[in-house]
Amino acid sequence: MASHKPILAVRDLGVSFVRADGTHVVALNSVSLEVFPGEFVCILGRSGHGKTTLLNVVAGLLGAQRGEVRVMEGPVTGPGIDRGVIFQQDAVFPWMRVEDNVAFGLRVRNVSKRERLRISREHLALVGLSSVARAWPRELSGGMRARVAIAAVFANDPPILLADEPFGALDYVTRRQLQAVLRDLWQRTGKTVLFVTHDVDEAMMLGTRVIVVKNGGIAEDRAIDLPMPRSDDDVATPEGLALKHLLLHHIGLE
Amino acid sequence: MKFPPIARPSDPTPLRPRLDARKDPGNRRVLRQRLISASYTVAGIALFFGVWWAAASQLPRSRLVTPLEAGYDIWTNFLYSPRLSVFGLGKVGYGSLLLYTVGNVLTGLVIGGAIGILIGIASARLRLLRVFVDPVVLVLGTVPVLVAAPLFLLWFGVVPFTQVLLVAFYSATMMVLFSQRAAENIDPVYERWAMTFGAGLDVRIRHILIPGTVPEIVGGLRITLASAWGLEVFAEILGAPSGMGQAIKALTNLNNVSGLLACVVIVAVTAIVTDILLLALARRVAAWA
Repeated sequence: MASHKPILAVRDLGVSFVRADGTHVVALNSVSLEVFPGEFVCILGRSGHGKTTLLNVVAGLLGAQRGEVRVMEGPVTGPGIDRGVIFQQDAVFPWMRVEDNVAFGLRVRNVSKRERLRISREHLALVGLSSVARAWPRELSGGMRARVAIAAVFANDPPILLADEPFGALDYVTRRQLQAVLRDLWQRTGKTVLFVTHDVDEAMMLGTRVIVVKNGGIAEDRAIDLPMPRSDDDVATPEGLALKHLLLHHIGLE
Repeated sequence: MKFPPIARPSDPTPLRPRLDARKDPGNRRVLRQRLISASYTVAGIALFFGVWWAAASQLPRSRLVTPLEAGYDIWTNFLYSPRLSVFGLGKVGYGSLLLYTVGNVLTGLVIGGAIGILIGIASARLRLLRVFVDPVVLVLGTVPVLVAAPLFLLWFGVVPFTQVLLVAFYSATMMVLFSQRAAENIDPVYERWAMTFGAGLDVRIRHILIPGTVPEIVGGLRITLASAWGLEVFAEILGAPSGMGQAIKALTNLNNVSGLLACVVIVAVTAIVTDILLLALARRVAAWA
């Protein structure tokens, strides 16, 4: 699936923050990585180790003090339509109906109303929300709003999808269902995904590759050579369990 | 052991289907709550008139008349009031004077509100504008109406524009603060998300800031409108070619208690009605909230 030319390249990235008391916190320290088209890369790590910072810099929502991020060989200078983002927080606009939320990116790009509606309805069907197209977001559950966010990002058709623990606040069953939705859409569209998570099982269920971020650096970068789509049995193989133990070790659980 | 496959995303139907309102327990509950609220409102109004009636029965008519007498005064003077024409107001009744007052309040509110909302939202996002706007609003907001109203009268004369300007001035000042707070209260994640779709500042203002601030801004508009009635009537008492304030001034000179109370009731009822209309409009434009 992966080609030899990276779609995303992070080189010698350094990000630090200044606390209110004047002390410096190094969030990312000389991080370099390459992501190839079609990869589903899971960025795994404990809270406060720099994975969200990395994602925000790639999204163009945060500037870096050192190094650079290049997407499709162009430097990242801010947010752009080549990188769709799904946040952990509920970002679905409460004042827009579900289908208008999904069509928002298309509206920004001045796509005709008829085409917007068609694409929006199509993507709502893909995430199983056709019946609530005209509903207000407040009428939906948290899991359904997460599906709206996924549909909105895919409807805008960015080559790269960035997800920052998008299912972190959801219950186990909903999380598993949404993982399946995202995996299906990824397989169907072949997009490149950078998926931040602190959940080892989630990373192993979704990723074709897992990168462990620890203390602002990359501690591990492994391909996950397991069949896709995966069942729980697939990750319970000796190879899968060995990788799981390694990842648990990196995040300090073993 | 083989685990069952993950459930596919079905097409959930979480929305309550629109059933017959009487049969749907949810709707019945809402209906019951509305009935309880309405009964409290009616009880409040009844208590107000009851206290008024009781007070009027204990005081001489030269001090306080009953609600019925005030109502009769409205009925007989609404279209034409000979006693008001004595004071140079022309062939008028409470109705035509009220129209003047309503026109000025709404014009002032629309002009001042629009200016205030624009400045408030813009200053919440543009730091330089904020640095300039905040001290100006702070200073203007502290100018008492007792000072501003006579000044405006001296500067612009006894014309409708003077009252409109006074209402617009205070409406703008209040709405800057309400809109600024509304814009600040919008979760930054919405704008961040919009930016990832390529939305520039103009798109974010149109699709995020303006719709997202509507509920809070309408709340501010209701408070501003309630204040505007008092401002307008006060400005009219000081000097105006027409309006309920002029009627109050004339009736005070005549020691006409029933007429004065009639004017107060007319202004109060108009204020309540316009507030209800504004609330209905808000529910329509912010149905999502």
